[in-house]
Amino acid sequence: MSELYANEPMMDMYIFETTQNIEQLETCILDTEKAGYYSQNVVNEIFRIMHTIKGSSAMMLFNNISMLAHTVEDLFYFLREHKPEQIDYSTLSDLVLEVVDFIKGELDKITQGDKVNRDSTILSSKIKDYLEELKQQNAITELIEKPVIEKQSHYYIAQDKTENKINLHMYKAIIFFDDGCEMENIRAYTITHHLRDMADEIYYLPQDIIENDESIHLIREEGFQLYVKINKTYNEMFEFLKQTIFLKDLELIELDNDEEFKQFYKPIKKIILDTPPVMIPKINNQNYQEGKEQTITSSNQSIISVNVAKLDKLMDLVGEMVIAEAMVTQNPDLKGLTIVNFHKAARQLHKITTELQDMVMAIRMVPLSTTFHKMHRIVRDMSKKLGKEVKLELIGEETEVDKNIIEHISDPLMHLVRNAIDHGLEATKDRVTLEKPKIGKVTLEARNAGSDVLILVKDDGKGLNKQKILDRARENDLLIKTENEMTDKEIYNLILLPGFSTKEAVSEYSGRGVGMDVVTNNIEAVGGSVSIDSEEGIGTTITLKIPLTLAIIDGMNISVGKSRYTIPTTTIKESFRPKENDLIKDPDGNEMIMVRGQCFPILRLHELYKVKTEVTDFTQGILIMVEQDEKTLCIFADMLLGQQQVVVKTLPSYIKSTRKIQGLAGCTLLGDGNISLILDIGGLVNLNG
Amino acid sequence: MPKVLVVDDAAFMRLALKTILERNGFQIVGEAENGAVALKMYQEYKPDLVTMDITMPVLDGIQSLKAIRQYDPKAKVIIVSAMGQEGMIKEAIASGAKSFIIKPFKEGHVIETLTKIATA
Repeated sequence: MSELYANEPMMDMYIFETTQNIEQLETCILDTEKAGYYSQNVVNEIFRIMHTIKGSSAMMLFNNISMLAHTVEDLFYFLREHKPEQIDYSTLSDLVLEVVDFIKGELDKITQGDKVNRDSTILSSKIKDYLEELKQQNAITELIEKPVIEKQSHYYIAQDKTENKINLHMYKAIIFFDDGCEMENIRAYTITHHLRDMADEIYYLPQDIIENDESIHLIREEGFQLYVKINKTYNEMFEFLKQTIFLKDLELIELDNDEEFKQFYKPIKKIILDTPPVMIPKINNQNYQEGKEQTITSSNQSIISVNVAKLDKLMDLVGEMVIAEAMVTQNPDLKGLTIVNFHKAARQLHKITTELQDMVMAIRMVPLSTTFHKMHRIVRDMSKKLGKEVKLELIGEETEVDKNIIEHISDPLMHLVRNAIDHGLEATKDRVTLEKPKIGKVTLEARNAGSDVLILVKDDGKGLNKQKILDRARENDLLIKTENEMTDKEIYNLILLPGFSTKEAVSEYSGRGVGMDVVTNNIEAVGGSVSIDSEEGIGTTITLKIPLTLAIIDGMNISVGKSRYTIPTTTIKESFRPKENDLIKDPDGNEMIMVRGQCFPILRLHELYKVKTEVTDFTQGILIMVEQDEKTLCIFADMLLGQQQVVVKTLPSYIKSTRKIQGLAGCTLLGDGNISLILDIGGLVNLNG
Repeated sequence: MPKVLVVDDAAFMRLALKTILERNGFQIVGEAENGAVALKMYQEYKPDLVTMDITMPVLDGIQSLKAIRQYDPKAKVIIVSAMGQEGMIKEAIASGAKSFIIKPFKEGHVIETLTKIATA
């Protein structure tokens, strides 16, 4: 199998299909657990999934996975065939989920190219023990299933041919099969079955090839001996047997008399064996339709799966193309030329690149449903361990975000859901005394909001306790403002700070020293933000605001001295040249501007980034009012250069490692070849306090 | 070039067989993910050979084999099955399957089996 093994598409397919199967299995278990018992359909489904995983894994030589899947297959085979009545469904679900986790873990290793070697024997024997227990409880001694074919079938005499004995030849054949071809007894049976249509009498040794799989060893050692009375010449007979698959050695002797047949004659009964009546199943159309819906694996010809690395590359290329387009259409050499046709063509090009870009984005968009559905498992495990009854509600799971972003938010979401159940929801008995619904509710909601996606994790638990937060913050020296100056929102946001979560809060699921700051970091890494709302006694809502995509944004280019900066257009409210008398300075020397009766702080970019510029007087430059997280700021720059789509590139690591520069989200290449720094407005407004 | 219809609910297995068969001069005329689709495809493409998995949803391999054999008594169906399913394989042979391949299969075994059945 080594040649297949090395084959990359095979590996991709293996990972893809097994992952899909495992997820299907998990959903299956979680759904049935609610129902309280495993329906026949579910048992069949799990059996089938495990059978498939066993087969594929064995082909890929992942023997630990294959062996484990085999054990589960056996268990569900038992459930399917014997339908035992006393089943400990809870343990069964736990076991299967443990298997799911094991295989998931191994699949991750495979994906990362690590060695797959975790020992599955302990888990396997746990399942075997469970099966044994099940058998004992249900008092089922294992019956060896009798094959459909009757025992006497080791010889066969055709009824209508017995009179016609004149042309009969008698043969003895000894057949050896290739080493390692497996199931020699069934191969032998295949020969006898195919001979039946032609031969008058067939006898063979060993006689118990059908019902005794041990006969394999005898066939391997002594060969399969066949005695046939048939109306065929030696050559015909030889040719027929030559057709046997995996034939290693064939010895065919024509017998002069039926001496050797006599050993089989003891019961002088004629046994006529008709092929068991062939039942043709009716294809139930309704069934078929249902099956279609059930199997996600059904190969829909109009869908193909593509390696994400290729999509990343495509995205990069489109990004480069957007830059190249700007380089051509905004080329400095074109300045001052009247070139009508060029502009026409350039507009056409721009239209196409924009469409292409939208399409590439659309391809990369993945619905959140998979990520959301993963939470069912967490809710199940936690509610079981903590003894809290929890209902998970999913809203807007069809909302789509960029594939790369999904990977970044999966862990934070898990953390938030765990927090909600562990710290947010009250114990079931407390809820009863509080006259709240007995079952706690955690809601996961996603919806689009402009160029962002909002993801809300809501619980109807006890809500955040402001006093406790303040106490904890004070202990850990996290307060920057005086306590009574802080708004509720600012107090809640304290829990997002690194160092807030202390080890006192450690439980099995949440607060493993990993605090909410990790959530914040992950979300900020994709350019998103976290905010918290809470009401004591009613519940807590944590909102993640995430950009739809990372790669290309609409930006306003500005200049300060010789430097270029880009501000994401979504954050810009307006830009204007201020009048002298609208400017205010507070006693600390902070500059402010009065706009329509409201005061806004001013940030001089040239001062922040220490850029040399001749424009230091507000009346000569321009102010750009930006807003994020409900905070507003006016940025002072020399001039606006124009609006453009820019491709976001991360800052090179040598810059990031030398110094942490605040307020930068990345950089981009402009049409004229200049590099522009993309401002992180969220960072800037918070920097300003 | 013998025409083959590959029937298996696992896309991985279909790809494995397809890869092996195509580089050994077989033509894959169709891939079916269950027995019901297999019957339809058999009627449509008239393949020379069918490789048939046993454990499948909607219509399993044995039922599908019987249905195909009823439609075309000369149909050459080869069962693809795993160790431990001996009983099923016997039933399949009794129901008219020409031979069988055991998963995990080796390229040589698959080709020898299909070639012999195709030329028989």
